[in-house]
Amino acid sequence: MFERRLYFHIDWLLIAAVFALCAIGLAMIYSATGGPTSIYWTQIYAIGLGTIAMIACLAVDYRSLGDKSHLIFLAMVLTLVGVLFFGEVRGGSRRWIDLGPFNLQPSEFAKATVALMLAKMLGESRRRALTNNDLIFAGVLTAVPLLLIARQPDLGTAVTLLPILLTITYVAGMPVRYLGALALVAIVAAPVAYQFGLEDYQRERISTFLDPEQDARGAGYQQIQARITVGSGGVWGKGFTQGTQGQLRFLPVSHNDFIFSVLAEEQGFVGVIVALGLYLFVIMRSIEAARLAKDRLGAYLVLGVLASFTFQVVYNITMSAGLVPVKGLTLPLMSYGGSSMIATLAGFGLILNVRMRRFTN
Amino acid sequence: MAIAEDRRRLTVRLRWLRAAVFVVFGLLAGVFWFFQVAQHARFQEMADNNHQRTLALRAPRGVIYDRTGQVLVENRSSFNISIVREHTRDLDRTIRLLAEVTGIEEAKVREVVDRHRREPSYRPIVVVQDATLAQVAAVTARRLDFELPDIVVQEVPTRQYPSEALAAHLIGYVGEASDQQMTDDGLPSGAVVGQSGVERVYNKTLMGADGARRVVVNSVGREIRTLEELPPSEGQRVQLSLNFAMQRAAEEAFHAYGYWGAAVVLDPRSGDVLTLTSLPSYDPNDFSTGIDRATWAALNTDKLRPLQNRAIQGRYSPGSTFKIAVATAALEEGLITPDQKIFCPGGATFYGRRFKCHLAGGHGMMDMRHALEKSCNVYFYTLGNMLGVDRIHEYSEKLGLVGKSGIDLPNEIESIVPSTEWKRQRTGEKWYAGETISVAIGQGQLSVTPMSLALMMATVANGGTRVVPRIVTAVDDGRGAGWQPVPPPASPFKPFLMKPATISALHDGLWMAVNGSGTATRARIAGRDVSGKTGTAQVISNQGKARAGATEKDLRDHGWFVFFAPRDNPEVAGVVFAEHSEHGYLAAPIAKHVMETYFAQKDGLPLPVLKVPAPATPAPAPVPTAPLRTAANTAGPDR
Repeated sequence: MFERRLYFHIDWLLIAAVFALCAIGLAMIYSATGGPTSIYWTQIYAIGLGTIAMIACLAVDYRSLGDKSHLIFLAMVLTLVGVLFFGEVRGGSRRWIDLGPFNLQPSEFAKATVALMLAKMLGESRRRALTNNDLIFAGVLTAVPLLLIARQPDLGTAVTLLPILLTITYVAGMPVRYLGALALVAIVAAPVAYQFGLEDYQRERISTFLDPEQDARGAGYQQIQARITVGSGGVWGKGFTQGTQGQLRFLPVSHNDFIFSVLAEEQGFVGVIVALGLYLFVIMRSIEAARLAKDRLGAYLVLGVLASFTFQVVYNITMSAGLVPVKGLTLPLMSYGGSSMIATLAGFGLILNVRMRRFTN
Repeated sequence: MAIAEDRRRLTVRLRWLRAAVFVVFGLLAGVFWFFQVAQHARFQEMADNNHQRTLALRAPRGVIYDRTGQVLVENRSSFNISIVREHTRDLDRTIRLLAEVTGIEEAKVREVVDRHRREPSYRPIVVVQDATLAQVAAVTARRLDFELPDIVVQEVPTRQYPSEALAAHLIGYVGEASDQQMTDDGLPSGAVVGQSGVERVYNKTLMGADGARRVVVNSVGREIRTLEELPPSEGQRVQLSLNFAMQRAAEEAFHAYGYWGAAVVLDPRSGDVLTLTSLPSYDPNDFSTGIDRATWAALNTDKLRPLQNRAIQGRYSPGSTFKIAVATAALEEGLITPDQKIFCPGGATFYGRRFKCHLAGGHGMMDMRHALEKSCNVYFYTLGNMLGVDRIHEYSEKLGLVGKSGIDLPNEIESIVPSTEWKRQRTGEKWYAGETISVAIGQGQLSVTPMSLALMMATVANGGTRVVPRIVTAVDDGRGAGWQPVPPPASPFKPFLMKPATISALHDGLWMAVNGSGTATRARIAGRDVSGKTGTAQVISNQGKARAGATEKDLRDHGWFVFFAPRDNPEVAGVVFAEHSEHGYLAAPIAKHVMETYFAQKDGLPLPVLKVPAPATPAPAPVPTAPLRTAANTAGPDR
C-alpha cells in the first residue's frame, strides 16, 4: 500500500499510548456498567472500527488529502445540513445519522475536517505573513460547521471547533495582541451572552455550577457527586468494580461523561496520575510530530487535530472533578461513544501520517 | 529565508503551547491531589453517607415470668411504617400517598411528621406503629415500584402482655422515652423504656442492648447488601415473686363479687409479693405500640382512676383492722395480759365524751382473744387510753404501718399513723388524749395503704420481723449461668421479737374471728386455720354524710379484710380492700378464694372454681377490664 520504508517511521510509542488509554477506558466502562454488557461490546467494536479508520487515514498521503480538502469540507457541511433535516432525534437534539446497524454522529468528524481545511488554507498560503483577510476567512470556515452543529443543538461539540481555529491561527503567526483582544472581548461579552444568548436551562446550569448547594438534588447533584466520587478514591482507590459512587449510580452516566471520575474512584490518585501521564505523553508526542513535520500543512493539521483533542481532555477531566459546569463533552479515547472513538482514532491516523511522511517528497 | 523564519516562529510558538499544556496538566494533577489526598477523609465520609445506612435493630426486652414459670410478659413482632425524609423528594406527595395506601387520615400523618420535623432527616419518623398486614403489604408493593422509596417498613419486637390487664399495676407498661429519660440515661430518640411498675424499676435489667445493621443502598435507596450486622442482645429474663394463679384468683373474685379495690398477699417469711392487684385496671398492651390520645385521655379522666395503683398509692382509714396493732402494743408493753378481762357495757366515757361500741347492748366481760374475735370497741378504747398515741405509733411502725413498705415499685406513698410529734409538726397543735380513743379503733387521722396493712399481717404472722416486700426474685442474663437468685433486700428495721404470749393471743383471736363466732366467718376454709380480721373504713363521717345529701359521689364505706394462714407457721398474709363494699365481711370471700387457690396449688389439687352466690349483671364501664357490678352497687349513693 505504501512504501516499505515509511513503515519504519511509524510512531509506535504514540500508538501504544493511545491504545493503552483505550484499554483503560474499556476497563472502566466494564466496571461502571457492571460487566460485559452491550455497551462494553459496542465500545470494543468502535475501537476496532477506529483502528481501521486510523489505518485508512495513515495510508493516504496527507498532502493529497489536503488537495481535496475543499471537497471533504463541502461534503461535511452538506452532511451536517442533512443531519438537521433527516437526523435521528434523541434526547431532544438531532445529531445522528441512522446507518442501519449503528448511528453515526457526523459532528465528531467535523473536527478533523475543519483542521484539514484550515491547515490547507493557512499552510499553503504563499503570503509571507498572516493577513486579516486570512483570519476572517478562517473564522468563517470554522463558523459554518460550528453554527450547524450548534443548531442541533450540541453546543459542547460546536465549541470544540474553536480551539482548532485558535491554535492553527496562533502557530500560523497571528499576532499575540489579537489573542489578548479576544480574551478582553470574551470577558466583556460574557454577561451579555449570559443574559441574552443562552437558554434558561443553560443559565441554570451555570448558576448551579457557581453554587451547587442551591440545588443539591437537581442540577447541582452531578457536580457534588462527581467531587465526592473523585475525593473518596483516595491515593490507591477502592479497587476495580469496587467503587460505590459509580456502581450504586450516585453518579449518573458514569460510563460516558464521568468515566474519569470512575477511574479516580476505583484506581485512586495513582490511576489518575497514570492516565494523566499517558494523555500528556500523547499530546507532547503529537506536538513533536508537528515540530518534525515536513511542511506547514502537516504541522497545522497535526495541531488542529490535537487542539480539539486536548481541549476535550482537559475540559472533561476538569468536569469529572466537578470544577466546571457539566457539559455533554466526552473524554476522547476513554468515554463510551462509537463516533467519538472512530473520529479520534482517525485523527491520530492523520497525526501519525504527518510524522511518518516527514522525509518523503 | 522565509521558510527558515517560518520554522523559527513555529518552534517558538510550539514551545509556548507545550508549556501551556504542561501547566494545565500540572494544575489538573494538583486538583486531583487536593481532592484525593488532602481532602480524602472528608469526601470518603460523604461517600459513606451516600451509600451506607445504619439501621437500628431494637432489642427485645427480657421476658417476665411468675414464680411458677408462667410467662407474664413476652414480645411479639410488629411492623412500623416510617418516613425517612433524607430520601424524600416531595414530602407532600409522600404524605398523601402514604395516607392513601394505609387508609389513615392525611392530617394525622402530617401531624406526626410535623412533630418530628426538627430531627435529623436520616432518622425515620414512625408514622404507623403496629401496622396491619394489609397496610404492610400495600406499602411494600408501592415501595417496589419505587413510588415510595422514602418509606421503610421495619419489624420491631413489641411488648406483649398475654394476660392483658392482669397485675397491670405491678408489671407496668412501656413507652417511648421522654426527653428527660433520654438525657438521663443516654438513650436514643424513640427508645422504648419501662414507664411504670416492674417495667420501669427494672428497666435497665430488662432493656437489653439494641443492635445495628449497616447496609449499602443505591441512589434510589434500595438495599444492596449488608456490610455488618451487630445482633441485638435480648434483655435479661426476670422472675417475679408473683403467683399467677393467686393473682388471677384475686382479680376474678373482685370481678365476680362486683367490687373495685386492691389486694396484697405476701409470704410473711420472705416478703415475697404473691399477689398485688388494683382495680379497675388498664390493658398495658395499649401502651406497647404507643397509646392513642383518646385511650390515654379516657384513662386519665376516668373518675375511678384506673391508672392509680390503689395497693401502694391509695390511702384509707384502716378501721377495725388497726385493733391488731393496738393489741400488739398493749401486750408487748405489758399493760395487759391476754387473759385480763375488761367489761363492755356497750359504750364508755373518756375525757368527758361518750364513745359507743358497735354492739349497743355490750359484749360483757372480754379478754384479748374474744375482744379480737368480736372486735369489741370498748376493750380497745381502754387499751388505747392506757397506751397513749405515741406508743401506738411506735408499735405501728414496728409492724409496718408507718411510712413506705420499701417495695420495689415506683411512687409508693407513705402511710400515716399519728403521734404527738406528727401532729405538732403538721398543725402546730398539741395532741389531745381524747383523740387517742378514736385512733385505738382505727378511726381519726389514720391513713394507710393496703400494702402497709398486708405488711402488718406479715409481721404479726412471722412473730415480729418487718420484711421488705419484694417482687423480683431471680434474673437470668442469658449467658448460660441460668437463673441467678436476687437476694432479698436487707430489712432496715430492727427486728423485735414478740413475746410468745403475744403471738399466741393474737393468732388465737384472729383465728376465732374467722373460725369462731366472729365477723370474718366467710373466709373460713376447712382445715386451713385461716386467721383474720375485718374492718370498715368510713369514707366520710356520719354527720358529713347527712350534710352531703344526694351527691353523685359514692360515699359508702370501704370494707377491709386482713388475714394470714395457717394460724401456726403462716405461709401467706395479706389484705383485701373492697371499695365501697360497706362491710369488711364482704371482702373476706375474695381473700378466701385466693387462699384456697394457694393451698390447692401447693397440694397439687385442681384450682378452685369460684362459685358466686348472687348472679352478677355486667354493666357498661369505661375500661375494657370492667368487673361485674351487683345490682345494689349500680344503685349509686343510697344514703
